[in-house]
Amino acid sequence: MSTEPTLSIAAGLEDQEIEDPRLGPTAMSLKDVAVAFNGRTAVRDVTFDVPANKVTALIGPSGSGKTTLLRSLNRLHDLTKGAKVTGEITLGDVDIYRGGIPTTELRSRIGMVFQRPNPFPTMTIYENVVSGLRFNGVKKKAILDEAAEQSLRAAALWDEVHDRLKAHGSSLSGGQQQRLCIARALAVEPEVLLMDEPTSALDPISTQAIEALMVDLKKRVTIIIVTHNMQQAARTSDLTAFLLMAEDRAGVQIEVNPTLKLFSNPDDQRTLDYIQGRFG
Amino acid sequence: MTDLQTEPREAELHSVRAHLRERSAATRARRQLTSKVMVVLCWIAILCAAVPLLMLLFELIDKGWPYVSSWAFYSQLPQQPSITQPNNVGGASNAILGTVAVVAYAVVMAVPVGVVVGVFLAESDSKAANVIRVITQTMVGAPSILMGLFAFYIIVKQLNLGYSALAGAFALAVLMLPVLATATEIAVRGVPPTYREAGLALGAKPSTTSLRIVLPAAVSGIVTGSILAISRAVGETAPVLLVIGGAYSMNWRPTDPVSMIPVQIYQDASSAYPAQQNQVWGLALLLVAVVFVLSLFARIWAGRKQKERR
Amino acid sequence: MEPEILHTSGGLLFEEVSLEGGEGGRTERPSSSPRGPYEYVLMGVSVLFAIICIGFVVTIILEAVPAFKQQGSYLFTGTTWQQGGGSTPSQYGGLSMIVGTFQVAVVAMVAAVVIGMGTALSIVFFLPLRLRNLVATLVELLAAVPSVVYGIFGYLVLAPWVLTTLGPFLSGLPGGTAIFGSVQTGTSMLLASVVVAVMVLPTFVAIAREVLSAVPHELSEASLSLGATQWQTLSRTVIPTARIGLFGAAALALGRAIGETVAVALVAGQVNQISWKSLEPGTTLASWIANNFGEATGDQVNALFALGVILMAISLATSLFSRWLVARQRRAAAVV
Repeated sequence: MSTEPTLSIAAGLEDQEIEDPRLGPTAMSLKDVAVAFNGRTAVRDVTFDVPANKVTALIGPSGSGKTTLLRSLNRLHDLTKGAKVTGEITLGDVDIYRGGIPTTELRSRIGMVFQRPNPFPTMTIYENVVSGLRFNGVKKKAILDEAAEQSLRAAALWDEVHDRLKAHGSSLSGGQQQRLCIARALAVEPEVLLMDEPTSALDPISTQAIEALMVDLKKRVTIIIVTHNMQQAARTSDLTAFLLMAEDRAGVQIEVNPTLKLFSNPDDQRTLDYIQGRFG
Repeated sequence: MTDLQTEPREAELHSVRAHLRERSAATRARRQLTSKVMVVLCWIAILCAAVPLLMLLFELIDKGWPYVSSWAFYSQLPQQPSITQPNNVGGASNAILGTVAVVAYAVVMAVPVGVVVGVFLAESDSKAANVIRVITQTMVGAPSILMGLFAFYIIVKQLNLGYSALAGAFALAVLMLPVLATATEIAVRGVPPTYREAGLALGAKPSTTSLRIVLPAAVSGIVTGSILAISRAVGETAPVLLVIGGAYSMNWRPTDPVSMIPVQIYQDASSAYPAQQNQVWGLALLLVAVVFVLSLFARIWAGRKQKERR
Repeated sequence: MEPEILHTSGGLLFEEVSLEGGEGGRTERPSSSPRGPYEYVLMGVSVLFAIICIGFVVTIILEAVPAFKQQGSYLFTGTTWQQGGGSTPSQYGGLSMIVGTFQVAVVAMVAAVVIGMGTALSIVFFLPLRLRNLVATLVELLAAVPSVVYGIFGYLVLAPWVLTTLGPFLSGLPGGTAIFGSVQTGTSMLLASVVVAVMVLPTFVAIAREVLSAVPHELSEASLSLGATQWQTLSRTVIPTARIGLFGAAALALGRAIGETVAVALVAGQVNQISWKSLEPGTTLASWIANNFGEATGDQVNALFALGVILMAISLATSLFSRWLVARQRRAAAVV
């Protein structure tokens, strides 16, 4: 980790005027969000707005609760007994926990891409991409085909696989598999796409490809990405939230700012320490 | 990299999205109902499974405990009840000892051979090994009564040793052999190849490497497999039923007929005397307890060895 | 990953399936290395073992040959089992046993698989975590319970209940006697199927549970994240991913049901008849042999060996067929 502070990361970018992405429309907003497991708080005091059609990054050292926070956004913690999510999380203007949206609908509006590529092993590429649509009751082949092509194009995978859609999902390379998972998530036309360290299991070239993809994708969806790679956050995101583990071992929101500002001139000393590599 | 086509074609995008939203909403109720119903069915299934099994355990303990907890059960020989003395049932000492003896003979016959075959299968790549492996795996699933027929032919008929403990032991040994061989093969294959490679790199002969390095590392797996094979053999009725003969007294020579717990259970269950029928529960509880203890022991042993390795 | 030896009696099928995949730390022996006493002993003992196994098959066939010569195809088609005396010829017809074997085995396997799947799914996905381990251990221990214990449970507990309660109830239903027959002693083919199903259930559940929990968590999460319901996730993602192991478990259950001897001997009634009416008694190959071998003399012994050959053939055919099915599934999955 370079001892030269923020400059190396935000190099060449600090002369640009830093535009605050929160000035535009909001896709989701979090207010006093906390997640606890069996009484033990894992993350708390999270309050910020997620701007629409932008990339928001959640960064912080391990244990800072970023993945826990991410998974509360599509109610994945409903699966864990003893998990309790408090505070207000809204999609548009509906509270996703208390607003009466059925979970299955919510999850097709807020999609997720996981750390390790996980195409369904028994399905072909085509079947993987349209699986979300099928789950939601879509049967018409014309629609499925259309959605498949669109999402594969959006995930920059169409050219590589369009002639072998019947091959198994696991016949692709790691980077391709992850793009397949992205296509799969995109096919259900979510408003928000959650990405949990999507490139940490991939090689540098695939990582680059997916980062480039995100720039295009945000025109279609709002992206929230958890990453432990600060350079990735700096390269790809518009807004960054920094979390840190507090003394009670719960993750706490330290600072949320436009990425360029956070990496060149953060408000909080702890953010600066993290970026300069003094811990984490 | 960016495909021109990623610009959403507004009209088509809208139609896919609209269609999806509509279908999703239309089918939601049905999908969620189906899901709930299936979950309920699964719960019903586990209840259906639990009821008879728990009933079985209850009956075993309830009816068998008086026997298992009495000293007479272990020390007395069985008696033949009669109309005037319908409760004169005695104990089960000879069945217990008979089981121990026959299983012991079987272990002596089967374990050395089974382990050696397992090692062979694990170490050899030859066609012969593949053939033998297929034979072994097929034998594992063979109906156990066939082993009884085999033992009858060899021991009782050809060798003319009569219905005896030895015949029973032979049947059990044939039953245990494929199981032991397979378990040993798995255990030996489970030893990380780096051990063998290290040994060979030091210049040791393959046989020395095996004997001094690989096999000792596989011992815990072999022991676990052996315990499981034994626990299976203890409970088998069909193979020994045909060839041990049955006895009411304590016979000590391997060539004498003998009594064993599973066979005793089978025979006394249809006894005309309820007292004798009832004693069957005691034998059954004892049998189940032994098998449980052996299985638990195997589990703990395997678990401990796993931890040590870490 | 160290392959775990499954703690179920005869439940090594799971491991043997993974052996076929060529896993395991097999190191190549340098092909030029000399064969010493170690290698010879290994090979010798193994060949001896192979000879024993082959002898196993051969001797049973040998002892059965006189009966095949005597009865011909009557062994497969006949329904009378009577040793002749004096001038009357012996008649050994095995049809009831053959049909009965399939009857009990198929019904038991289907019941065990259906209920077993629901049970395994409940254990892995719906049961609270603390209960899960306890139940899993319990299931594995139950799978080790000897079949004779299930037999006496059936004979001493269930049969009287069928005699006094279930039988009259079923016969009393409109058309009951036509479908179910009428209960005679409580021992019946229905009871035999039930007892064998109960016996085979823990084995199936133990394997199914292991296979289902081996499906990576992320797959279910991915499915749910797309908006699938729980059941959709299970049926379209988890179960298909686990289907090879599930097939193997079902095959194991079937194999065990075919060969089951004493439990069936105690509760099927041991009457030489084919009966589709489930309250009536019947018999199977294995249990008939067990029941009659003790007192058999002369040509009846050969006839029983002949039944043994038929049993062996059925068991072998089933085993090979399941093996082929599983291998086909593996190849389909590996075509990646």
